[in-house]
Amino acid sequence: MVISIDTNFARLLVRLADTELILAQRLCEMCSRGPFLEEDIALSNLALDLLGRAEELYKLLAETEGKELAADDYVYRRNEREFFCYKLVEQPNTDFAWVIARQYLHDVYAKSVFTRLLQSDNSKLAGLSEKVLKEIRYSLERSKDWMLRLGIGTEESNHRLQFAIDRLFRFVPELFAFDTVDLQYIADTEGLIEEWKMEVSDTLRTANIQEPELKSTHLRDSREGFHTEYLGHLLSEMQFLPRAYPDATW
Amino acid sequence: MEKHEAAFNALIEQDLKIEPHDWMPDEYRKHLVRQVSQHAHSEVIGMQPEGNWLLRAPSLRSKQVLLAKIQDEGGHGLYLYSVAETLNVSREELITQLHEGKARYSSVFNYPTLNWADIGAIGWLVDGAAIVNQVSLQKTSYGPYSRAMVRICMEESFHQRQGFEIMIHMARGTKEQREMAQDAVNRFWFPALMMFGPHDTDSAHTGNAMKWKIKRESNDYLRQKFIDKTVPQVEFLGLTVPDPNCRLNETTGSYEHSPLDWNEFHDVINGYGPCNTDRLDHHRNVQQENRWVREAAAAYAQKTETVNSSL
Ligand SMILES: [Fe+2]
Ligand SMILES: [Fe+2]
Ligand SMILES: [Fe+2]
Repeated sequence: MVISIDTNFARLLVRLADTELILAQRLCEMCSRGPFLEEDIALSNLALDLLGRAEELYKLLAETEGKELAADDYVYRRNEREFFCYKLVEQPNTDFAWVIARQYLHDVYAKSVFTRLLQSDNSKLAGLSEKVLKEIRYSLERSKDWMLRLGIGTEESNHRLQFAIDRLFRFVPELFAFDTVDLQYIADTEGLIEEWKMEVSDTLRTANIQEPELKSTHLRDSREGFHTEYLGHLLSEMQFLPRAYPDATW
Repeated sequence: MEKHEAAFNALIEQDLKIEPHDWMPDEYRKHLVRQVSQHAHSEVIGMQPEGNWLLRAPSLRSKQVLLAKIQDEGGHGLYLYSVAETLNVSREELITQLHEGKARYSSVFNYPTLNWADIGAIGWLVDGAAIVNQVSLQKTSYGPYSRAMVRICMEESFHQRQGFEIMIHMARGTKEQREMAQDAVNRFWFPALMMFGPHDTDSAHTGNAMKWKIKRESNDYLRQKFIDKTVPQVEFLGLTVPDPNCRLNETTGSYEHSPLDWNEFHDVINGYGPCNTDRLDHHRNVQQENRWVREAAAAYAQKTETVNSSL
């Protein structure tokens, strides 16, 4: 089945929803793998927030598109090329430094985006943004705190975080490659980029991490459904049951 | 000393709670540490078999319910480790004992989860068996443990209901789903019954534990209570208990069952279950792989403390 996304507003929603969902699935992989029990529980909290957020966004998407599809259809019945999450969030949990760096880079971006969506003409999206921003501010506080702990902590943790940042920065330019859909709904994208850079530069400097140059790769854009090789594997695992038993309900 | 002991016995006699600052016999403390540690490790190791299906949960809702449950179990672990701390044993010590094979956890978590209905079966049968045991432990004589049980039982009963809900869905679903549900019951029925431990006649630690009111009811009594409560639920689901001798005894009002396979039980307890090695390796590896994180957090805390105090 191919599920098309037909309006610009729906395109905006599906990007947001897919990004939060895929990041949540990555965090689910950390369950029982946290560096200590308290952090394990905290990562699950984060994943639960992201799942709840994704679910609300998919519901709004389903309502907007009006095709009698449920949130779960969007999650479980689309293929790799029909997903629109940013490549940043599909990157693997190589080690805890990757988990933190990915989360931090996401949180800074998500905060700016949802702050702008407070002004959305769609009252449901505006309301959801308000709720979501509380969670994101908390998550950002935590991910930033870990950036400092890892950056300043020991030589090893500093090296690991530096490596994670070096690798993940390849996927940052994509966040800022706004297209007409984004520009239609997200105000002041220039300001958003400035905010992001200021916040991130400041944190990296404080954490003794060298800021890599922002240089685009020739990977095509996730807004067109292009991804790294990681996403397909993530989806095949996530979608296994509904795909294997299409007649079943759960 | 004798005065202390008399005071302790009087508290037990009157069904009052022993608190951390009270005098207690060494053996009482040892028994409690062993039991609380085993309970805490069970909560934490139990995260693994359920986590095995987290990434494959078939709906957004079921994924959230399952993740919240696993997170609760981690919280129970934390809570119980802190009960052990009131008995002067640190979490680190207990985890070292676990890794060295000196501490145990419930043998039921040494069985693999092989289909989605197993997630239902664990919530319903395993948390269900745990509840029967833990409700009885709410009256245990050690205050912090008793209070932990009150809090934990409330969450466990949620888990059981959610597990049963999965079973209803599976049992009333497609033919394949019904098969998965029956398969899960077939594999988890006896391990769940064995969660209550050996028969009363073979139970090494029961004597003093009953006298000191750490344990309030016997293994066999609790097991029977669980069976009597659960068999009608299996029937309600339209599934069968994997035991041809399971039938209602009209005279006693209780269900009879086949003898349990204690050889298997002892094998699994002693490390030869299907997943013992994997569960412990997983826990040990995660600890080792993340040592640098804990070191970084400690180093950072120390550095920032130095900065703050020099200001
Ligand atoms: Fe629990
Ligand atoms: Fe428990
Ligand atoms: Fe539970």
